[in-house]
Amino acid sequence: MPNAILDPTGRAARAPAPAPGLDLAPRRADLAGARVGLMDNTKHNAALLLSEIGKLLVTEHGATVTVEATKANFAAPAPEDLVERYRQDCDVVLTGVGDCGSCSASAVADGIVFEQAGLPAAVICSDAFVVTADAMAELRGAPGYHYLRTPHPVAVLTTDQVRQRAKQLLPAVVAMLTSAS
Amino acid sequence: MSTTDVAPDPDAAQAAVEYCYEQGWSDGLPLVPASRPLVAEFLAAAGRSPADVIGRLPQLEREVTVELAAINAAMAGCLPEYFPVVLAAWEALMLERSTQGGGWQSTSGPAPLIVVNGPVRKQLGFNCAGGAFGPGFRPNATIPRAIGLIVRNAYGIHPHELEQATQGLPGRWSICLAENEEESPWPPLAAEAGQAAEASAVSATLLRTCEFVDNRHTGSAEQLLADFADTIGRSGAWIFRYASAGIVFCPEHAQLLAGAGFDRAAVRQFLAERSGRSTAELAAVGKDHCDDNGVRGPGDGASRPEFQLMLPGTDLQHLLIAVAGARNAGISMVIRLFGGWSGTAVPVLPAEAVRPA
Repeated sequence: MPNAILDPTGRAARAPAPAPGLDLAPRRADLAGARVGLMDNTKHNAALLLSEIGKLLVTEHGATVTVEATKANFAAPAPEDLVERYRQDCDVVLTGVGDCGSCSASAVADGIVFEQAGLPAAVICSDAFVVTADAMAELRGAPGYHYLRTPHPVAVLTTDQVRQRAKQLLPAVVAMLTSAS
Repeated sequence: MSTTDVAPDPDAAQAAVEYCYEQGWSDGLPLVPASRPLVAEFLAAAGRSPADVIGRLPQLEREVTVELAAINAAMAGCLPEYFPVVLAAWEALMLERSTQGGGWQSTSGPAPLIVVNGPVRKQLGFNCAGGAFGPGFRPNATIPRAIGLIVRNAYGIHPHELEQATQGLPGRWSICLAENEEESPWPPLAAEAGQAAEASAVSATLLRTCEFVDNRHTGSAEQLLADFADTIGRSGAWIFRYASAGIVFCPEHAQLLAGAGFDRAAVRQFLAERSGRSTAELAAVGKDHCDDNGVRGPGDGASRPEFQLMLPGTDLQHLLIAVAGARNAGISMVIRLFGGWSGTAVPVLPAEAVRPA
């Protein structure tokens, strides 16, 4: 009998993954009085876009922005202590922008972690990185995880264009963070 | 069973090659199907425990063991005796911050740059002379390919999925230089990077691309270095406050510089003080201003004459200098580093040095 051809991935020997599926955190009916956390990932225009959407959530939906922090290492998922800070001080989280090879995937990973921590999350990714974002969702046992897509590129937008983008994204952000969807 | 005992069966070989393609294991070129006896030879050559974990990407929930590295090295076409070099190259790459983060997934699609020093070059038949960047020589070609297959298969980072290279670059997974120590006027790169002068060792970093400097008609070290400073300082490769680079000198250039009294440190000093662009030149391409994250973009439009230096200093981490190629022309390569370089070489350890006596 000939020798078997060996598997170079190490996946064959692995225990089967638990059945995929993510239970989203419970949604509020609306964002009136909700404490909003913003987590930018250092990508160009990310902090501005999140803060502009945050302002609109305050003025148009009666929310309060309680945490505005930066995830220093865009390539890696948010560290536990940062997630815990949002869990303590926020009711919902908005994060992004997934705008590169590794940070789009890790932004989706963050969204899934927030949901598992009981925080409704809205993740914003550039639409050029949909495949890698979806691949990460699958990897984390949440195939089909729903995040917000915004047209690529984001980094070259002017301040006014980012404000415009924030207005465009607002309804989808609200829908994703509430049971209105 | 040696390959000469029985006539090879091309149909069985082809079926095995196709099987590997069907599993999604290939980088696009045919793979050597890895069998247990073949991989056992790799493991014996390195003397390491197969279960040792030598790389981990927690964000992808994947890890690399010595055994998985051996399977991928076999598939890449390495000989078993190359495996200690593969492991040293992998370990050297693990010293780079970006390989622990998002480097392998990056839009810039960086390539490993592997530089081998010491007696292992001759023992394994590395090319260090003409055509140093390849192709044509088995160890130079298959060792970086093994690194690429480890990233693909053990980390699960596939193009168009978790790997998001916008264009990639010519020579990704195929750049493994052996330093031309015999014709270099300077100590081996690995010696500068912390190993004994006669040690077999590997230095590695990630690079974004290379660009040649062809200068064969000046005898002036200063003119020659000014040509390198101009190429290093180009704005296209410059996206953050500073950028790191390197030079793979041909023997002719290295010898000219050494003859004029330049050692590696003096070359670095010269280039660190001269590589860059004026603020006006950078303004013309929208890169004169650094934001709070250190990313370059358009500034206030004022045309200022001051000169912005590209290299952050004179240390070897930001200007890797090696010598490779033939002694037949003044053609060297400027290399663009993805980040910095660890500046640390890793020794190549044969099995007898690893196993307890």
